[in-house]
Order: sequence, then C-alpha cells, then structure tokens
Amino acid sequence: MNDRNSPLLSVRNLTIHYITDDGIVRAVNDISFDLEKGKTLGLVGETGAGKTTTALGIMNLVPDPPGKIISGQILVNGKDILKFKKNELKKYRGKVASMVLQDPMTALNPLITVGEQIAEVLRLHDKLSRADSYIKAAQMLELVGIPSDRINDYPHEFSGGMKQRVVIAIALACNPQLLIADEPTTALDVTIQAQVLSLIRDLIKKYGTSMILITHDLGVVTEICDEVAIMYAGQIVEKGDLEAVYEHTGHPYTRGLFGSLPSLAVKAHRLNPIEGLMPDPTDLPKGCAFHPRCPDKMPECVSRTPVVIETEPGHFVRCLLYE
Amino acid sequence: MAKKKKGQLLQIWRRLKKNPLSMLGMAILVILVLTAVFADFIAPYPYDLQNYGAAKQFPSKAHPFGTDNYGRDIFSRVVYGTRVSLQIGFISLTVGALIGTVLGTLSGYFGGRTDTVIMRFTDILMSIPKVVLAIAVASTLGPGLVNAMIAVAISSIPSFARVARASTLTVRDQEYIEAAKVIGAGNFRIIFRHILPNILAPIIVQATLGVGISIILAASLSFLGLGVEPPTPEWGAMLSAARTFIRDEWYMVLFPGLAIMLTVLALNLLGDGLRDALDPKLKA
Amino acid sequence: MHKLLEVKNLKKYFETKNGLLHAVDGVDFSIEEGKTLGVVGESGCGKSTLGRLVIRLIDPTDGKIIYEGKDITKVKCKGSLRREMQLIFQDPFSSLNPRMSVSQIIEEPLKIHKMCKNKAELRSKVDELMDTVGLAAKLSDSYPHELDGGRRQRIGIARALALNPKFIVCDEPVSSLDVSIQAQILNLMMDLQEDRKLTYMFISHDLSVVKHISDEIIVMYLGLVVEKCRADELFEHTLHPYSKALLSAIPEPTTKKKKEMKLIQGEITSPINPKPGCRFAARCSYVRDICRQAEPELKEVLPDHFVSCHFANEINNLKAN
Repeated sequence: MNDRNSPLLSVRNLTIHYITDDGIVRAVNDISFDLEKGKTLGLVGETGAGKTTTALGIMNLVPDPPGKIISGQILVNGKDILKFKKNELKKYRGKVASMVLQDPMTALNPLITVGEQIAEVLRLHDKLSRADSYIKAAQMLELVGIPSDRINDYPHEFSGGMKQRVVIAIALACNPQLLIADEPTTALDVTIQAQVLSLIRDLIKKYGTSMILITHDLGVVTEICDEVAIMYAGQIVEKGDLEAVYEHTGHPYTRGLFGSLPSLAVKAHRLNPIEGLMPDPTDLPKGCAFHPRCPDKMPECVSRTPVVIETEPGHFVRCLLYE
Repeated sequence: MAKKKKGQLLQIWRRLKKNPLSMLGMAILVILVLTAVFADFIAPYPYDLQNYGAAKQFPSKAHPFGTDNYGRDIFSRVVYGTRVSLQIGFISLTVGALIGTVLGTLSGYFGGRTDTVIMRFTDILMSIPKVVLAIAVASTLGPGLVNAMIAVAISSIPSFARVARASTLTVRDQEYIEAAKVIGAGNFRIIFRHILPNILAPIIVQATLGVGISIILAASLSFLGLGVEPPTPEWGAMLSAARTFIRDEWYMVLFPGLAIMLTVLALNLLGDGLRDALDPKLKA
Repeated sequence: MHKLLEVKNLKKYFETKNGLLHAVDGVDFSIEEGKTLGVVGESGCGKSTLGRLVIRLIDPTDGKIIYEGKDITKVKCKGSLRREMQLIFQDPFSSLNPRMSVSQIIEEPLKIHKMCKNKAELRSKVDELMDTVGLAAKLSDSYPHELDGGRRQRIGIARALALNPKFIVCDEPVSSLDVSIQAQILNLMMDLQEDRKLTYMFISHDLSVVKHISDEIIVMYLGLVVEKCRADELFEHTLHPYSKALLSAIPEPTTKKKKEMKLIQGEITSPINPKPGCRFAARCSYVRDICRQAEPELKEVLPDHFVSCHFANEINNLKAN
C-alpha cells in the first residue's frame, strides 16, 4: 500500500548551527534520512545530540537568531520546506506536519479551555465553522480517551497524562501526514507512559500517520517504532530497522548505550558505561566525533571522518571499523 | 559541556556593557560622584559666599549658572549640592535597604506569624504615601540633614521588604536550601550564606532605582522646609528658595532642577540595564 | 547482620485546603547495615516524603524510627544525626547553590561540624573527596552552572560523603541524567558502598535501576507499602497487581520476546482523605467488593515476601499458608 519510491519525508545533508557569543554550536552536522509513509522512526540520543534541533528543522522552526540552517534540504512530498514562503509554511505546520512536545504542563495555554485549543487549530486549518470545530474537538477528546463533557475544562483541571492526551489531540486534529513527538512521555510515570504510548500507536495506525519519535529511552522505541536512528554529536551514527540495530548493533556508541542500561532480565554486578562526557558542540573532536570515548578507537579515527556504510541491507553505520 | 571559566561579576559586566543607555547612565553617575568628592576643587566659590552687589546675575563667564538673590554662585552651590543630595540618597537608601531586606528575608523564610507581623507592618507603612510619611517623620524629628535621611530611610523600607520577601519565597523552596539543612546548617547560616546571595540581584536593581526616588524625596522635604537647613546647598532647598523668582530669574530654578533630573535619569538608566544584566533567565 | 535502621508504623499527614493528605500512611521496614533498600513507586506515592522522614528532615505524624538501636523519632538536636545520615538529591541543578563554587559546596558540611582544625586540613579533605567521586581537582573553583549534570551529581555525592555518614538516602539520584552518565554514577555509588560500608535507601521510579542496585525492595502506592521482598524475588514472583502493572509497563530495550504490555486503567487517585479499602482498587483489574471496603494488610505470602492484597494467593495460584 505504501509507495516505496517516494518517501514522505526526505532529509538531505542537513546542517544546523547556532551562532553564539561562545562560538558556533554545531548542533546538526550533515544528516540524511528518509521516512516512508505510515512508518515510525525513533530518533535516539543523549542530551545535546541534536535530536530536538533536527525536529525543529523539519518544522522549519529553528529560532533564527541564533540558529542557522547552513545547508541541506528537507523534502516533504518532494517539496523543499526550507524554501517555503510564510503562507506556505502556515499551511504546512499543523496541517501537513505537527508536533507533540515533552512538557504537557507548558504546552497548553492555561487561560483557554482545552476544547477551544483544539477547535482553534481546526478553524485555522480546516476552515470549520465555530460550531463544527467544537463538534470535531469533542470527537478528538473522545479519541484520546477523555470524556467529551470535559471540553470546557481548563488545562489545570487535568493531570499530566491527561494533558499530554490533549496535546496529542491538538497535534492530530487536522490529520497531519507527519507527526513529530519530542520526548512525549518523558515527563510521565511509567504506567501513564504505557497508556500514552499505546494511544499514540493506535492513532497513527488508524490514520496512517508517519511519525518521528524523539527519545533518550531505547525501550520506548521498541514499543512503537519501525526504524531507529542513533544520534551522537549532531550526526546519525547508526540507522536501521529495530532488529538490525538492537540485535546486530554496529556502532561502538550504540553498544555503549545498551551497556549503560541496567537490565531487568540479566543480573549484572557492574554496568559498562561509556567513559567520558559528551563533547563540547562548539569544539567537536576532529575525525570521528566519538573517538575520545570509543573503546575500539583506531589511530585513523583521530584524523579521518567516517562515512556512512551499509553493513547489511537497510542497516547503516557511520564508523571506520566497517570501511 | 566544558565552559570557559568566568567570574559571575564579569559576565554581568559584559552584558551591561552591551546596553549603551545604561553605560551612559553609569558615566553620568561617575561624573556626579567625582563632582561630589572633588567639590572643593571644582566649585569656583564657597557655597555660602554672599555678594549682594552681584545678586540675581544672569549666567556669565564668572558665574556660569548665574547668582541667586544673596549673590551666591549657583554653579558652586549646585556642585556642593551634589555632595549633599548623593549623600542623602545613598546613605538613607542603604539603611532602608538593609532594614527592609532583613525584614523581608526573615518574613519570607520563617513564614507564619513572623511573616504576618512583619508584612502587616510594612503594609501600614506602604498605605501612607511616601512623601506624607517622610513629612510626618521629619516634622516629628525636626528639620536637619540626619533627620531627613532617617525619614527617607524609613519610607524606603517597605519596598525592599516586599522584594526581599518575594525572592526569598522562591529561593526557600529550592533544593539547595534543603541540602543545607541536611548537612546541618542552622537558620542563620541558611539565611546569610544561601538565601541572601541568591536574592541580591533584584535588591540591587531596586536599590539603584530607589536612590533616584530617595533623592527626589529628600529634595521634596527640603523644598517644604523639612529637610536640610540653609545655607547648606541642597537641590530641593535651592528650588524652594528660588521659586519666588521663577518669573524673572528662571535660571535660579533651572540648574538645581536639571541636576535632580539628570541624577535620577542616570540612576534609572543604570537600574534598567542592571535588571536586564542580572536577569537569571538570560544567564548562560 | 544487624539492623541499622528500623521504621515502625511511620505516618506523615499534611494539612491541605482540601483535607488531610496521607503522604506516608503506616510504613514498616528495616535496613541491614551495608545493604540497599530500594523504594519504588510513581509520583505522589510518598517515597520522597518517606526518605525525608527517616533522616528526620521532616517530623513524622506518628510512628517510630530506630537507628542503631536508639529511638531517634523525638531527637531534638539533629546535629549528630546529620553526621550519620545524609541525602543525595534528584536534581543536580537545583540542589547546588549557584553562588557557591565546587570547593565551597563540598567544604560547607566540614565547616559547620568543625571537622577540620585548619585551612590546610580542610583543603586536603576537600581534594580527597573530589578525588573519591571522580572530580578533577582543577574544577574546585568552578561554579555549578559551568558543569554538566553528571559532574554536578558528583558534587552532591561528595557533599553527602563529607561527614562520613553511615546511612544515605538517595532520592532519585540518577533520574535526571543521561543513560551513559547514569551508569557512571550508579557504578560510583556501588563502589562507594563497598569501600565505605555504606547503607543506602535508594528511591526511584525506575524499576530496572532499583533492581540493579538494591538488595531488598519495597513497592509503594499512595503512601502504603504494597509489596516487600528481596530484589530478585520481586522480579521472579511479582505478586501484587500494582507491581505487576508497573513491571509490565516498563518498555524493555530489546526486540526479542516482547512481553505484552498490560495497561492499567486510570491514574493515581488523590492521597487526600483516601477512601476506605484497598487504595489500588480503583485501577485494579482483579478488584472485588471487599477491596472497596477493607484495607488489606501486609502479609507474608511467600517466605520473606510480603504483599498487601486480599487475593494475593488466588491471583498468583499460591496455596494459602
């Protein structure tokens, strides 16, 4: 059913920098990936890996200044959204692509009822009348598991999990083709996280929405994603379908991430963390950015920047071990 | 993320430097302070030298700001007046700020009954207009430089108490206060080592803006005859003395008035800049 | 093995506008010297309050805290307690005074308790502590905001260790850290425990972290202990419906043998004026009438395995003993 030849989203050599007083923050460095219709990609990385900047790039929402999209293309349905004019962007955001943010406490306006916040989006993009927009808003609330008689309640009357459901309802109200969820469950308790994850999974399946899920949690990815991309220092260091990355892990950084996780299944006395710290994004190491922390470092890692290698069909690794 | 080591003061200075208006304010303030310190060398005449032969002279080379009805050189009086006005402004404000900050911090930190008593006291002070309060204090204590300062100091207590209390309330709930309790720190240590340094920024801003208000207040008191006594040159007193001549000898009013305006303006410009520079939200 | 800390029927209620908030509502446990007790639960279950109660940072409403055989529930002078019991905080950003340098933060407890005779001794003690927790000596004049979360958490640990305590309550010490840093800090804490014979009470919402570090675990729900047993036992025989739900909600980072996520309905109910009966009844899939009427007691269902559920035997196919 999917048109395999034309991906919904195609990011080509995207580079985004922040120009600050302390130097140039190299947040995203030459990343490329495709997302097919109806698929879900997990974008995994630690603080400062450039996940959120990538997401903002895809929405064309990188704050400028200090942010600058240095180069690259972001093709959605074949059109480069970085070249969009103001009114094209208005139609793109919310209607074609929308976003769910991490913190449901601050994502909602505390002075407006949740119903109005959903209805507003519908009036803006789908040109519904006031009455129709409220009918649809009530349906959306039911869809995310909130009784529609709460349509006139204010955000503070909801718990954290319920607020995140409202945020999801707003994001999906106009039935976008692409949903970007930036750590949507990080602020929630595990039992609530499980509920919200299963809600998102059901909804995107129902509507055939493509999704990019940004998270630091390798476990959450397995619940919901088809593919996963691991980011480090602004680059995608490994990408592939879940089984490839989780079972035949290629990149030493990905292996380090798995080693850092305490497992419920296996009893280990000590964890094997990655040594050292994230590099300073204003002063990235030469060669492979991961080499100062890498257990498999080779002499040439210091000088040569690795390129992306396809180690098995659909499994890409950016590491000199495989070149 | 490795960051270059920088003193916190240096960072604030760097941000302040970016704001040209507040740098202007600071420059004016530095000149005013230097004027006050070196008044003896700058003023061409003693401030109380009367010369009836040269009374009410229009500004000239010999008297750049003219002379008053006693023939005293207005320029010299304005220069010496800087000393008196800045003294009143800064000393009274410092006293008021100290008392207000301590009261506000105690009130915010301990809460409960302490809070109620202190805050109702400041509410009462606040409900009386500043000028009326200062007049009441000054007229009880009698006119004079020290009494004027006391009056101004008392009237500036409530605003500092409020700012300090509000800031303390936010800082009090920070985990590092709890952490200090865990390592066994007493209330005294917590207040002076952990709370005060963290609420200093808004208080400094309030103080910078407050000096201007205090100077105006002191001038108003003198204008009403409750402040500094003649022949001490104080800008407000000079205005008061000159007001009967405003029709024909307007320069007698103009220069002390300008001096007050310039000082208050400089302090406000600096205060605004400081507020932005100290804003923790902008901190890297 | 002797019990370092014992807690009996500990309660803490807070007065609120809407009624009495039962933060901790009758909790019993003990910790043996040199061991780690894990406390697991979701936000609002009272685990942080419990941690602050046992080190006497806040006063209990009722109950007893016995430390080294002495009843410390009513101790007024807490100075000596502070040297014995310390706390490591969750948020390494707000738990360090932004106006103090690294060395000032670490030396403060030493100064308060006058542990060092002179400046030189203080200096060398601070250097030693920084070395112990893996902080480079050149950082001693840095300010917290210049450092990353992992290094900040090391400062917090050094501060807690300064007074040479025996017992440390760790309140979600790794929850706000990245996974690779989290593993470094967990390893550090386990090394310190071994070297210094520390006893931990490790509070976390993350079952896998708690399992990793703990010897014994208590699972809390709305101020009550619902299950208590050895760490590995909890994962082999999960008996309480809430523990089961908690365990199955954790997304595991593997693509093999995916367990079916068992969702529990609804959200945590209010701890203010709780209704009689089992507090988990509103979300429990095994709920029956009695659950809404009588509060279950914490019973030993398997050896050293305590559960508070009316139907613990039945739903787990155990023979009643």
